[in-house]
Amino acid sequence: EHFRMKALILVGGFGTRLRPLTLSVPKPLVEFANKPMILHQIEALKAIGVSEVVLAINYQPEVMLNFLKDFETKLGITITCSQETEPLGTAGPLALARDKLIDDSGEPFFVLNSDVISEYPLKQMIEFHKSHGGEASIMVTKVDEPSKYGVVVTEESTGKVERFVEKPKLFVGNKINAGIYLLNPSVLDRIELRPTSIEKEVFPKIAAEKMLFAMVLPGFWMDIGQPKDYITGLRLYLDSLRKNASSKLATGTHVVGNVLVDESAKIGEGCLIGPDVAIGPGCVIESGVRLSRCTVMRGVRIKKHACVSGSIIGWHSTVGQWARVENMTILGEDVHVCDEIYSNGGVVLPHKEIKSSILKPEIQKFQLKLNNKKE
Amino acid sequence: MGSSDERVVAVIMVGGPTKGTRFRPLSLNIPKPLFPLAGQPMVHHPISACKRIPNLAQIYLVGFYEEREFALYVSSISNELKVPVRYLREDKPHGSAGGLYNFRDLIMEDNPSHIFLLNCDVCCSFPLPEMLVAHRRYGGIGTILVIKVSPESANEFGELVADPSTNELLHYTEKPETFVSDRINCGVYVFTPDIFTAIQGVSSQRKERANLRRMSSFEALQSATRSLPTDFVRLDQDILSPLAGKKQLYTYETMDFWEQIKTPGMSLKCSALYLAQFRFTSPYLLATGDGTKTAAVIGDVFVHPSAKVHPTAKNLLTLNYAQIGPNVSISANARIGPGVRLISCIVLDDVEVKENAVVIHAIVGWKSAIGRWSRVQGEGDYNAKLGITILGEAVTVEDEVVVVNSIVLPNKTLNVSVQQEIIL
Repeated sequence: EHFRMKALILVGGFGTRLRPLTLSVPKPLVEFANKPMILHQIEALKAIGVSEVVLAINYQPEVMLNFLKDFETKLGITITCSQETEPLGTAGPLALARDKLIDDSGEPFFVLNSDVISEYPLKQMIEFHKSHGGEASIMVTKVDEPSKYGVVVTEESTGKVERFVEKPKLFVGNKINAGIYLLNPSVLDRIELRPTSIEKEVFPKIAAEKMLFAMVLPGFWMDIGQPKDYITGLRLYLDSLRKNASSKLATGTHVVGNVLVDESAKIGEGCLIGPDVAIGPGCVIESGVRLSRCTVMRGVRIKKHACVSGSIIGWHSTVGQWARVENMTILGEDVHVCDEIYSNGGVVLPHKEIKSSILKPEIQKFQLKLNNKKE
Repeated sequence: MGSSDERVVAVIMVGGPTKGTRFRPLSLNIPKPLFPLAGQPMVHHPISACKRIPNLAQIYLVGFYEEREFALYVSSISNELKVPVRYLREDKPHGSAGGLYNFRDLIMEDNPSHIFLLNCDVCCSFPLPEMLVAHRRYGGIGTILVIKVSPESANEFGELVADPSTNELLHYTEKPETFVSDRINCGVYVFTPDIFTAIQGVSSQRKERANLRRMSSFEALQSATRSLPTDFVRLDQDILSPLAGKKQLYTYETMDFWEQIKTPGMSLKCSALYLAQFRFTSPYLLATGDGTKTAAVIGDVFVHPSAKVHPTAKNLLTLNYAQIGPNVSISANARIGPGVRLISCIVLDDVEVKENAVVIHAIVGWKSAIGRWSRVQGEGDYNAKLGITILGEAVTVEDEVVVVNSIVLPNKTLNVSVQQEIIL
């Protein structure tokens, strides 16, 4: 029925908050739970029959397109890019991609924010959209600290949106915009091809006409665009996996809590892995290693007796014997932590060797000789 | 050469509980002279150096501790080294020379021709036989061990000037404000019994002056400093300084290491110095191993015979023995689990270090427990207040906890990580 639906994923820019990881790879391709971030969304869209996904990007389309060709074939879905030449905000990119999003089917189209992870209950969203008959539907999610975000104030029984309040000083509600929309094609008529904010300009207009409805997102939600939330997000995601597809999680005496291990990864003797750990393809975890609340990207080697927690270890990096890496340490691609080193919140740019301990969170910059790791 | 009648007595000043406050928290549990360096109590090192003196008749330990604190040690070391060692308690402070004088009758019982005076908290190679030979050649009443240090650090000590050809002590001054010399007093001396005459002389002089002062109340009011008791004689100010330049005192220079053991951090440094010395004097005391049948040993390491270093646990196909060293000292009954890494540390009696834990630049107190994958680490700056991590007696560091540059007092349990803190 929905086989001709389209979707737009707002990928945006440089992904600066996820540096140093995004210095090696564009943000949508950074893996989350062993799968490129954007693939989580594309798979959810494919699952409900979306046939074409448009990526609204303003950075490195060539790198993206190469990967995406792979996904296109494997998933049987068309993926195209719509590239901004100037920043168009959160609504402008929709206007830019207009021709790709509208056909004569008249079907609504999805708009997703690429930094978001959730269970993507898109089928329920379609039903909600049809039932209220409005012009646009948005998902909202409940948060503990709504003043950090834009709060959506709705009529409880119908979900009709009354207004948006940006970073309210007093409590007006605890639901915020989850970054998942389902829009009728007519919404595009409201958006000009210029820098525009969907929350500040477009949605308030639709809400004023009582045509905007909000659905409370069931399940977890996280904006994983920065390391702290990325790590929290993994916990939520794996919790959800435990409920819905627990066979994907690792088991064994060395496993504690929810742990995801790629089948090509190797884990040695006497390790203790988990909770909330993802280990990518080709990783080698030597004996006596302790991993908790961390992500280990493709090709990483964690040497004997090391202990890693609350951190992200970038592709092809190594963590030395008896090293201790913790407290939001983010290692970029090809970073080598020497034996016995302690990193407390170090942020390390790619192609670097860490030979002395980092006792307090700090950023280890580039060295001039990028290719000579021995320096 | 001395005849077989020329007996020698050695006196080692060991201080007292009120003096060693910088050695806390370790000195809360043990008298500082008994704290182990390189696996042996601190006082053991000067004692075994004394054993090399020809015709050594007796060793006296002089201090302010209760007799019972030294009773066991003294009797066991006497048996072990086959030389009489006795602890003498000073009833009140007499000063560094006055203490020697206080026990002169006992010391002179053996009719010694020479008397060595050593400070227990000095870490050095104690070249005592060589000092004695030099002293006999000089013919003075005393010879002082000296060492050259950096000019910047010299004013922490007693600075002295010696005649380069005769080695006579020409000038001595304690902790001067301006630079005098880069040669300093090591706190190791050899004297002839004339030293007692010199000390008595100081005592008498002071008595006379005190009597004079009593006659002039005006002078008594004018006195800026409190006058010392007549039997309080300091070696540095009262003996060495006045006798310098009078052809009575001489110097002997050591080219080896020398440190003062004032703080726990320094005890770690000195432990390493003594371990390095063992490699030359008694290599059989040091541990060996390559990790296949026992721990992998790197550099100088001491492991007490009763300590256990083993891989435990069931289901380990590859046995991951601990990797230990350099500069590690492990005391009696300690247990070191598999996959542990120890670097530059002192692990005291009955400590348990569990699997995969890491200890670097630290002292782990008696009976402490270090949890799995935990990390106890110091920066390695022996002189900084928090440069070495010190865990007092019976401290528990729970699994995966990190302790960096901190001091933890006895009986504490750490279940969260700490950095740069003193935990009471």
